[in-house]
Amino acid sequence: MKGPLLKSALVVIGVIVFLYWVLPLFTAPLPASLIWLYIALTVSSILIFVTMSASSLEAFMGPITRFLTGEGQVGIVRTVRIVFLVLVPFLVGWGTYATLAPSDEPPTENRTIHPAPPGEFVGLSNPLPNTPENITAGQGRYFSLCFPCHGVFDGKGPAAVGFNPPPADFKDSGTIAQLQESFLFWRIKTGGVGLPVEGMPWKSAMPRWEFELSDEEIWKIIMGEYAGSGHKPRTWEEEEEEE
Amino acid sequence: MVRDMVRRGFLLTVLVVVSAVVWASAPWSGSVLADEEEPAQEARQEEAVAVRLYLAEGTVPAEDPTAAAWAEVPVSEFRLSPQVHWPDRLLDATVKSVKVRGLHDGERVAILLEYQDPTEDAADAAALEFMVGDKKAHFAHGQEMLQVEGGPVNIWYWTHASGKAVDMSAKGFGTLKTQTHQDVAAKGVWQDGTWRVVFSRSLETSSKEQDVQILLGEWSNVAFAMWDGKMLESGEPKEKGSQKAVSSWWSLRAEPPADYSVVLYGFLGLVIAALFELAFVKKLKKGQEA
Ligand code: HEC
Repeated sequence: MKGPLLKSALVVIGVIVFLYWVLPLFTAPLPASLIWLYIALTVSSILIFVTMSASSLEAFMGPITRFLTGEGQVGIVRTVRIVFLVLVPFLVGWGTYATLAPSDEPPTENRTIHPAPPGEFVGLSNPLPNTPENITAGQGRYFSLCFPCHGVFDGKGPAAVGFNPPPADFKDSGTIAQLQESFLFWRIKTGGVGLPVEGMPWKSAMPRWEFELSDEEIWKIIMGEYAGSGHKPRTWEEEEEEE
Repeated sequence: MVRDMVRRGFLLTVLVVVSAVVWASAPWSGSVLADEEEPAQEARQEEAVAVRLYLAEGTVPAEDPTAAAWAEVPVSEFRLSPQVHWPDRLLDATVKSVKVRGLHDGERVAILLEYQDPTEDAADAAALEFMVGDKKAHFAHGQEMLQVEGGPVNIWYWTHASGKAVDMSAKGFGTLKTQTHQDVAAKGVWQDGTWRVVFSRSLETSSKEQDVQILLGEWSNVAFAMWDGKMLESGEPKEKGSQKAVSSWWSLRAEPPADYSVVLYGFLGLVIAALFELAFVKKLKKGQEA
């Protein structure tokens, strides 16, 4: 292994690769602020390490100093140095501009898709038996009321295109496959306008069905929805295991 | 010896701080290191998400939806749904999408809607909807939200029969009313199966509680609705009231005049960085000689 500079660079790169690409394979990606903190910690440990003695500092700084001062450089290294020295001020200028320039992009809206339901909806369970009759009845209602937006459980109904956010795709693993029946009961009963602020209720086209459907009809539709999408509702036990 | 070490240590620190600042402020770092966000309009990416009201070079062609000036304005197209959110529903609306263009001159704003409707009928109509004030409003007439206190909406409603626009307010279903103070003008021209309707108003008005205030450079929200008033055999128009083609909220902004001071700051940053770099390299060289 050559000089401490190269080693340090490899360590930092290794840490970045690990935090960004390796770790997310096993767990949820870390927030950017935490990644920054780890990188900063790594860099400062390296700095403490190399400044421990004059010789380690010289070994670390030597190549940097020689590169920057251009001492005895010829050919390609010389060119690289000049390009580097010219580029840095430009990057700073560009960075300043980019930071200060008012963005002309529409605000990105960080909508929480599955916010916590109000207390009275937590832990409810479907009071109706999961029978073919109930499923058929539920799907009958589904196709007359929900199909225009949610389509054949795929979110691509004939009336879906004008709405942003788009109607949920129940076949997707990110919607009802992750949810409990009680969550669906809440969402269907109170619709988009029942969402808390982080769900951005003002944007949702999901109707407030409690005006038009009885609780029993909603429970049947839920059964029909799961049967039609090929997913199973999550249960309390699964939820507990995760925590 | 010790002094040399302190000097080297100091230079090293400066080097690290400078590279960190360069790295963090460089334009790429935003995209690489920003927290992952839910893609705002994943399924809609190929379509427009915003209406931009561009700064007009001359006066705004507010009276004439066919004016040549409109052809040069970039267009945003939005798809529409039949209104199935609320009774009375409609399962198939005539108008499938609307092309939107906007201009302003710092005083007045003009928004042009262009959409296909095969027949010209007296009951044809089109509307723009905006949020009013700081509170969010649901796109369906500012209907009540259960956990969030909502605000009112301002609706600009043009009908072919009247040949003009009505300035309206709503806060919840069944609360739609014509405002006492009318500020909106509109003109529609139907030609070969296409409606072109231009709405206009001053960017700001005196009734801040009822009217959308369009402030330069600030994002707000807009939604669209169109009615095909074609007469059915029953003697009723095909679409009226809640039976219409609709969209939910999209973004809207009046483009501010270009601001060159930022370019100046960027240039200043460049100069300072270059001077600093020169001094730094010079100092390193000096140290080497010593
Ligand atoms: C007017 C269009 C429309 C109709 C009709 C409609 N929905 Fe929705 N629905 C939406 C939209 C848009 C969303 C996504 C936004 C949201 O979560 O509020 C949604 C979301 C949902 C969700 C939440 C899924 C999740 O992952 O959180 C459920 C459950 C749902 N709809 C069920 C139904 C059922 C059942 C019906 C019929 C009784 C129905 N919807 C009718 C538009 C509609």
